[in-house]
Amino acid sequence: MKFRDMIAMSLSNLFHRRVRTVLTVMGVVIGTCAIIVMLSLGFGMRQSMEDMMKSMGDLTVVTVYGGGGSRGSGNLDDKALKNMQKLPNVTAITPVYYLDPSCVTVSCRKYQFSAMVYGVAMDTLKTFGFQAESGNLPGSDFKKTDILFGSESGYDFMDPKRQNDGMMDRTPDKNGNMPKPFVDLEKDKFTLSVNLPEDSTARKKDVKLNVLGVLAQDYSKNPNPSDCIFMDIDYAKELKAKYNKLNNVKSSESQDSYSQIVIKMDSIEAVPDAVQQITDLGYQSYSMESQRDAMEKQLRTIQMILGGLGAISLLVAALGITNTMVMSIYERTREIGIMKVLGCIVWNIRAMFLVEAGTIGFLGGAAGIGISYGISALLNSLAAKAATSGQEGGIFGMGGNISIIPLWLVFASLVFSTMVGLISGILPANRAMKISALTAIKQE
Amino acid sequence: MDMISIRDIRKVYHIGTEKVVALGRISLSVAQGEICCILGTSGSGKSTLLNVMAGLERPSRGSVIIGGTDVTKYSEKQWALFRQKNIGFIFQSYNLLPTMTAVENVALPLAFRGVAKELRTGKAVKMLRAVRLGDRLLHRPTQMSGGQQQRVGIARAFVARPKLIFADEPTGNLDSKTGQEVMDLMVAMARKYGETLIIVTHDPEIAKYAERIITIHDGCKVSDESNPAAAGKKEEPES
Ligand SMILES: Nc1ncnc2c1ncn2[C@@H]1O[C@H](COP(=O)(O)OP(=O)(O)OP(=O)(O)O)[C@@H](O)[C@H]1O
Ligand SMILES: [Mg+2]
Repeated sequence: MKFRDMIAMSLSNLFHRRVRTVLTVMGVVIGTCAIIVMLSLGFGMRQSMEDMMKSMGDLTVVTVYGGGGSRGSGNLDDKALKNMQKLPNVTAITPVYYLDPSCVTVSCRKYQFSAMVYGVAMDTLKTFGFQAESGNLPGSDFKKTDILFGSESGYDFMDPKRQNDGMMDRTPDKNGNMPKPFVDLEKDKFTLSVNLPEDSTARKKDVKLNVLGVLAQDYSKNPNPSDCIFMDIDYAKELKAKYNKLNNVKSSESQDSYSQIVIKMDSIEAVPDAVQQITDLGYQSYSMESQRDAMEKQLRTIQMILGGLGAISLLVAALGITNTMVMSIYERTREIGIMKVLGCIVWNIRAMFLVEAGTIGFLGGAAGIGISYGISALLNSLAAKAATSGQEGGIFGMGGNISIIPLWLVFASLVFSTMVGLISGILPANRAMKISALTAIKQE
Repeated sequence: MDMISIRDIRKVYHIGTEKVVALGRISLSVAQGEICCILGTSGSGKSTLLNVMAGLERPSRGSVIIGGTDVTKYSEKQWALFRQKNIGFIFQSYNLLPTMTAVENVALPLAFRGVAKELRTGKAVKMLRAVRLGDRLLHRPTQMSGGQQQRVGIARAFVARPKLIFADEPTGNLDSKTGQEVMDLMVAMARKYGETLIIVTHDPEIAKYAERIITIHDGCKVSDESNPAAAGKKEEPES
């Protein structure tokens, strides 16, 4: 028997029992919809998680924290830095040397800024993706007194004679414009001095600063370029040493102890390895990637639960197909017998039943995909409405689609539903195959 | 040459501990082109004999040789393929497929043989015209009378030009006049195409159409005689 004749006979059988076929197909439609919609919610969640992650930080960056004993992390000294420089796949690495606001003061006219200073390897800032709001980021040939202001640091300048109201108010006015700070970071001249003890009589020494530019605000960056100054790490160390000497501070920490070391890897894939090796070296680290990994594992569990719920309804649909086919065999016992007597080989009979069951699965899958797209679009528009009407975007994040159907899922569910149909058809088909021609044509 | 010959066929049914002997040692042969009738009362084993000859029932003992080939030990699949090519069937209750039109029903044995659709439809239409149903081509079984349905059945049996055609009580469900028409048609077709036809019936009137009448009783052959009246009508097959 020709394959196309077999298909034609199967289809015509389905057509002759169209009410039952449609009902059975509907079961598969519901099952397929359940799986696709459930999974699409999972994909939506994943997408918004990834978007959120991207806005929160660079996935290729690993931050290593300095000791302090309590953190259980080793002391970040030059030896540690050397070890970390040796890690494979490192694109850029910078230690961060932190000076707290008590160390130095930056002055401009009568205004002063007790500056938080981050000493960093200035030439790596570009690689780490810092952006300049004005001016330029340093290349490899920077001077010792070159500095970059954090985006908000203009507001930190105040008049020390007016203790309380010397601070600038940082709330925007009616038109949404920020008030101008007392100093102009781009045009004014700034000097830096190391703070002396209050009772000191020594003369303050002012050093002229060379402002390269102002960093753009970026909450995903570490250190955060906001109320602070970025300068070369060696100069920062020098200033700290000077401060300690002038103020008779006996530092317990060694001179080259960094608050953190920031490492940029050449790819996301290199991050887990690097994190592992840093842990092996005895340091604690933080990376968006490991965060993401943990969240992704959680998401996968959620997605599996959602998909499982969908799968249950498809299982019920599969039982529906089997039931329909078994019923159909009871009705067609005589027909099957006649076909056998007329010389239809059993393999053909089996194949016909499998084609019927597979077709039910395929049709259900195809219709299910169409309807799933509808449901998905509906969910997304509802979510968009909820987001714009000021309600919370919820766990799904803002604005993005809460339901995403990837193209591969379309093909996968079509194949899957057809397979489910075929598998549901195996038992009935084998049964049809075993029907005795004689008993079949004897029954009235 | 013998178209079909069976040797010492015995068929015993076991129902629980009881044995029912449906056929006890029957031997017979039917020559190529012969129209033969197996006559017997109800329960005499006619249908069983026919089913054994067609491979629908396995004999308990004995052998079946069709066209020189011993087919006794054929598997189910071998039998199916063999029937496709060599055997046609006419049933008492027509046994047309209810969802198919007359043409599709007649073309079915050809479809099983893998004949392309246009070709088999053409042959089926020709056959239906031969049984004078040219105006009922697209009717379904439920839209036809019993006599018409049986004519579709006859067309279906002849369409693949098998070597052998079996008919089990072909007029059993018809009134005597329609029955006669059907018998006339069937015998005429068999003569025209030179087919070997084996008819099973309990009705001596029907048996008169055959050239040879084999009577069985309680599973045993009691007589085997030629019927000169019918044999006289025999024409040369045109094949
Ligand atoms: N499947 C079976 N199981 C047990 N006994 C059977 C079976 N088929 C037939 N028989 C028995 O075999 C005998 C012959 O049956 P068969 O059907 O061949 O008779 P028949 O001559 O065709 O009768 P009828 O003219 O009524 O159709 C009967 O006694 C019947 O009871
Ligand atoms: Mg019978």
